[in-house]
Amino acid sequence: MAVLKVNRQRGIGLGALLLSGFFYLFAIPTWVSSPSNVSNIVLSPLFWPNIIAIMLGAVGVALFFSAQTKEDVMKKPHGGLQRLSLMTVLLVVYLWALSVLGMVWASCLAFLGLAVLLGERRVKILVLVALLVPIALYAFFAHVAGVAIPQGSFTNEYFRLP
Amino acid sequence: MNFFDNLAMGLSMVANLESFLALATGVLVGVVAGAIPGLSATMAVALTLPFTFSLQPITGILLLLGVYKGGVFGGSIPAILIKTPGTPASSATVLDGHPMAERGLAGKALSMALYASCTADFISNLALILFAAWLASFALNFGPPEFFTLILFSLTIIAGVSGSHLLRGILSALLGLLLATVGLDLVYGTHRFTFGDPNLMGGLNFIAVLIGLFALPEIINKVWAPHSQISSTSQLGDNRVSFSEYKASFKSIVRGSFIGVFLGSIPGIGAAPSAFLSYSEARRTSPNKDRFGKGELEGVAAAEAGNNGVAGATLIPLLALGVPGDVITAIIIGAFMIHGLQPGPMMFVMNVDLIYGLFTGLLISSILLLFIGAGAIRLFRFITNVPQSLLYPAVLVLCTYGCYAVNNSLFDVGVMFAMGGFGFLMLRLDIPAAPFLIAFILGPLLEDNFRQAMLMSGSSPSILFRGPITWFFWALTLITLVAIIRRMKRPNTTHSAQA
Repeated sequence: MAVLKVNRQRGIGLGALLLSGFFYLFAIPTWVSSPSNVSNIVLSPLFWPNIIAIMLGAVGVALFFSAQTKEDVMKKPHGGLQRLSLMTVLLVVYLWALSVLGMVWASCLAFLGLAVLLGERRVKILVLVALLVPIALYAFFAHVAGVAIPQGSFTNEYFRLP
Repeated sequence: MNFFDNLAMGLSMVANLESFLALATGVLVGVVAGAIPGLSATMAVALTLPFTFSLQPITGILLLLGVYKGGVFGGSIPAILIKTPGTPASSATVLDGHPMAERGLAGKALSMALYASCTADFISNLALILFAAWLASFALNFGPPEFFTLILFSLTIIAGVSGSHLLRGILSALLGLLLATVGLDLVYGTHRFTFGDPNLMGGLNFIAVLIGLFALPEIINKVWAPHSQISSTSQLGDNRVSFSEYKASFKSIVRGSFIGVFLGSIPGIGAAPSAFLSYSEARRTSPNKDRFGKGELEGVAAAEAGNNGVAGATLIPLLALGVPGDVITAIIIGAFMIHGLQPGPMMFVMNVDLIYGLFTGLLISSILLLFIGAGAIRLFRFITNVPQSLLYPAVLVLCTYGCYAVNNSLFDVGVMFAMGGFGFLMLRLDIPAAPFLIAFILGPLLEDNFRQAMLMSGSSPSILFRGPITWFFWALTLITLVAIIRRMKRPNTTHSAQA
């Protein structure tokens, strides 16, 4: 494994401090609305998020200054970033496919993709399980639990499941 | 008639095959439903409700109570085996249950979860029978200021679940509190971080956050470093919990049971905070506190005792006052009404036979849970024998179905994926996820009760010190904070276990 020398505690502290500033100065004033006739600051919808943002900053400072230099070495496995990028793509495509292909067929493809990513190479078993698991779950959720599992806009006409 | 006459009358009501079958079926359905992430005990009780219409009142209600009890235990099975709590109440079980499974001790963790659940369930049922009226009247004294101080004290649990990274635990909790502010404002109805999206107006779905935070990071981490850990979960290990191990955890089980009874008798608190509080107290008092979070058997026992201790106690306000203690008892109250029964003080006069029939049935359900739970462990433990290259994709698909099923919402699935990415980042940075979840659960309750208290008092903070209950919780919070600060000052404990 390659070693990426990053002091995590200090990095986390700095991140928390930046996040605190972002929320206190920009996000809360922009995305939290408060009526003009609020009688007391403690009743305002802004009060709670502001308190949390301030505390976030305080914890960030504490984390930054309590960091020890000798420890906190972050390990990065070989090829980890490539696999992580592929996993991100897989999740994004899976989410998109859920409404287009339906939950069953999208799940079959996601199952296949993730299993291959994890090193599964037994094609027959893989295809069988990738089909069986989503279909069995569909049968349970749709017919036993009564959940309306999405069939997908594209597959609704041709591959609609009973 | 005295207490024992009533109990004998109750026993005669349930001493028949129909009642036994209803209870056993209910417990079995509950265990299976609890073991499937996303299909919570609440959903299982709701789905079983229509089946009770044609049954006798006592049989139908026993069926629902069986589902409830089974569901609370069932959630611990995937929590231990695949780090995915089947129900929110099992979140605390993950902390030590899954590390045990990783060490090849899944069988032992599951068995302890079962024994602790049955013991706590039995104690909770006894408490229901003995203290129903008294505890319910005490709980009536809780107003927003009392709830605020109770929840504030509950937030000190964060110290207990942060392990050796207390500051990172606090950071995690603050992020959880921040995320809990998403949605419409509780008092004025104005927008907070909703970006005009209707999906965000009710806040983020708890199950989506829960599954995303606990289950998905494991999968992503496995992709990130496929050979990072030996797949020791393929061995179930020694399945038995010895009597000495049970005895060593007995104090934590009983304490957790009473925490569950106390919190369960207060409407609206729920099993998850109880499990975390029980876990935290066990960790605080245990001689093995350093092993908590790394696969300590007592941690599993305490968490399970905490959440199962709630199960009987939530029926206290339901039966004594007609007030449901949580969502599940709100559904069960519907079953009473369908059969023309109105839970409350008058029921103890008009339908005392039914009340004691239910009490007896509940005691029997604890014993049934022991046998059915043991069978379920044997069945579900085979999950650990599945190769990880097939298990993790199956978990991803199961999480997707489960998350969608809660609200029929694909948006929730997106939230789950996003939380999965965030959880992975936390995992890599050694920021504990449990404080985030606790704060996410307790945050809205804390804010809601604080603002209600301020509205009641015209913004005067003196209302937060208005009586002995608030003073009691302030004192507890102060004592806990002092203990935490003292622990931080000790040189060896702060950074010894940093990875």
